Amino acid sequence: MDPADVRQRLKELMVTELNLEGKEPADIDDAAPLFGAGLGLDSLDALQLAMSVEEKFGVRVPEGDEAKSIFASVNALAEHIVRAKAAA
Amino acid sequence: MRIWVTGIGVVSPLGRGAGVTMDRLLAGDRAFGELSLFDLPDLRTRLAAEVRGLSAAEVAPEGDAEAWSRTDAMSVLAVREALAQAGVAPSLWPIDLIVGGTTAGMYETEDLLAELSRDADAIKPLRAMLTHPLSSTADHVRAAVGPFRRVRSVCSACSSGANALLLGAAWIRAGVSRCVVAGGADGLCRLTYTGFGALSAVDPNPCRPFDKRRAGLNLGEGAAFLVLEPEEASRARGVTRPIAELVGWGVGAEAHHITNPEREGRTAARVMQAALAKARLTPADIDHVNAHGTATPLNDSMEAAAIRACFGPEAERVLVSSVKGQIGHTLGAAGAIEAAVSVMTIARGEVPPTIGLEEVDPACPLAHATRATKADVRAVMSNSFGFGGTDTALVFAAPDVFPAPEAPARRSVVVVSAATIGPLGVLGARENDAYLTPGPAPAPGPIHFQAAEHLDVGRARRLDRAGRLSAVAIQRALRDANLDPLDPSIGVEVGAILGAAFGSVDGSTAFMRRIYEKGVKFASPADFPNLVPSSPVGHASIYLGLRGPVFAVADLGVTAECAVVTAADLIAVGEGEVLAAGSVEEASPMIERCLGPVCSGEARGVRSEGASAILLEAEEHAKARGIRPIAHLPWWTSWRGEGEGALDGAPMPPKRAAILTGQEDLPPGLRLPEVWAAVPHRAVAPRSGVHEGAGGFAMAAALAAIARGELDAALVVGHAPERGYALLLTAERSPDEPGSS
Repeated sequence: MDPADVRQRLKELMVTELNLEGKEPADIDDAAPLFGAGLGLDSLDALQLAMSVEEKFGVRVPEGDEAKSIFASVNALAEHIVRAKAAA
Repeated sequence: MRIWVTGIGVVSPLGRGAGVTMDRLLAGDRAFGELSLFDLPDLRTRLAAEVRGLSAAEVAPEGDAEAWSRTDAMSVLAVREALAQAGVAPSLWPIDLIVGGTTAGMYETEDLLAELSRDADAIKPLRAMLTHPLSSTADHVRAAVGPFRRVRSVCSACSSGANALLLGAAWIRAGVSRCVVAGGADGLCRLTYTGFGALSAVDPNPCRPFDKRRAGLNLGEGAAFLVLEPEEASRARGVTRPIAELVGWGVGAEAHHITNPEREGRTAARVMQAALAKARLTPADIDHVNAHGTATPLNDSMEAAAIRACFGPEAERVLVSSVKGQIGHTLGAAGAIEAAVSVMTIARGEVPPTIGLEEVDPACPLAHATRATKADVRAVMSNSFGFGGTDTALVFAAPDVFPAPEAPARRSVVVVSAATIGPLGVLGARENDAYLTPGPAPAPGPIHFQAAEHLDVGRARRLDRAGRLSAVAIQRALRDANLDPLDPSIGVEVGAILGAAFGSVDGSTAFMRRIYEKGVKFASPADFPNLVPSSPVGHASIYLGLRGPVFAVADLGVTAECAVVTAADLIAVGEGEVLAAGSVEEASPMIERCLGPVCSGEARGVRSEGASAILLEAEEHAKARGIRPIAHLPWWTSWRGEGEGALDGAPMPPKRAAILTGQEDLPPGLRLPEVWAAVPHRAVAPRSGVHEGAGGFAMAAALAAIARGELDAALVVGHAPERGYALLLTAERSPDEPGSS
């Protein structure tokens, strides 16, 4: 899987699944933190995003501490997806 | 005036009956077992605390079980038990009924909804849908147990049962009830089971409230009802001693987040303090806290912080426990079951344990009762917190231990603003008489609504359509009253009571379909909290910063009238200074072609949709703010049945008066008093369209006509099958104030 393509699809998914109305995928900074100060997402968004990533990419996002580094940014989440796909 | 608890009824996963439930709680029994009610592939756990061996057929009239729910059955059994213990019957004594809940007949209808939705042409009226509306539980209790006088259905998610009791207490203090049976009931269903699973809020093992290793809640089900009476009325019928007294209560909203509580428990502490203040007690008077204690990581640390903030050094002494380690979280029933347990804790002098708590979380440093503990319990505080941050605390005390509180003076209620969003757009306090002017009927179906024109959609991204319509209506009503809930100088917390006849039908249907079509693990965590009936008002409270009482009511086609009357009841006795009240109804094929015809009857006219918010305020508070009200609310009433004679107490109409209704017809069985019979009748339905919330538009139209000086008074009358409401809005103070209920 092409990481740039995954990042793009991921951002499109975020806009629709998290109802980021008024935002375009291009507005989301690949390196910015998803939670707290960055995009301002929270734990409920994390659950929704994990569910939709599994639905659209067929990749499970682990829960708990492991999830923290994966949800660090679009880059980190895309990396997790690419890695999981390659290992499958 | 003392409020006596004279009867308790409980159906819990530990048994049928209050006594057996308490025996087993004290014995430390846990009710968790393998889920037997339904099977869904790929559930992460099948643990639940079910009420075994119970079916709707036990209480339904012969041959009609398909239209009754398990929630109905639990409610009927618990209400019967409570009334039997109190020695009262609705056929012989004026008894009011308040039912708190969230799911009603969801278990019986969720499959059907998903099935019907697969083919839009197949949507048709089905008798089984009679059990879907939140109000169906109260209706069925009334059908099975007897002719309760005043009836309400309330929802504030997991504090619903507690708020039912709070409303009952308010009625008694207002002097309008001689006896109230109030409580809550919720049956397990696929929707809540998979929804809490999607939120990762469920521990696959028996839960551990306040424990360091706690990993979430377990779901349970049940019902509990308490009989509340003013001491004088109870003595008058021969009762000499109550089981306990309901002495204090506090309610407020966090305006923080739809699923996550405030970390520091600020609002929870505030309502606990308010409950103590209402009871005129101090932390030193309380011997036990029956905690909400769900065993989710966030709730328990928040609640511990709140208890410590409220109790101060007394937190080292006051025993705290949660029954959820034994019966799970029973959602809308929890606040009522825990109230019943609190009463029995006082009566028996024994505090139930927190089972599952082995190693106390350092973030929850409280005096935990890990085993049943005999104690002289003078007073118990029972906490309940719901989705949307709806927090309620109740305080029960042993009979005659504390001085009798004085009943508050009844206060006058005024209306300071009103707004709607409907076929004519967003209309404010002086504009809604547009719905009374001749013009074309609205286009059928959904109204034009661009959220971005009215709301900051970034902040409103979690609000579904019903939440957005509600927020827009309340926001406009507040704006027209020049009231900013976030402005600390107004000195009070603004609240909201807003309902929907059928709740989030399309949302629930979509949620269930996703589960059937994609699997349980694709249940949407973000959508689930929007399916509870109090979600629209909860979301609106978060968006607008409403921190007063926040809950939903449901009463079929008179939900808006029910909300306004309930708000007036609360303000009149000091349970709120400023409350927005109304309803939100969405156009939906499922409502139009299935639920509506079955539950509300055939609708004539064009079906539309919309939301209304009527802003009520205590007259003294409005005066202090220097606000000139639009109208006084000198009189209001409600009825069950045909309404024969219901309006007999209505004050005389002034010269320029009108009778206003949502729907085109006045109730067929209603007899207008002679003085009102000649008053012109006008309806908003031809312009607003027909829907269950049309009464809210009638009230807003009446207020605008009064504001513009076109009317001096309007008697707004709303009716639906077997029920109705009426309220009088006047431009000038009526001599008959204060009103009755």
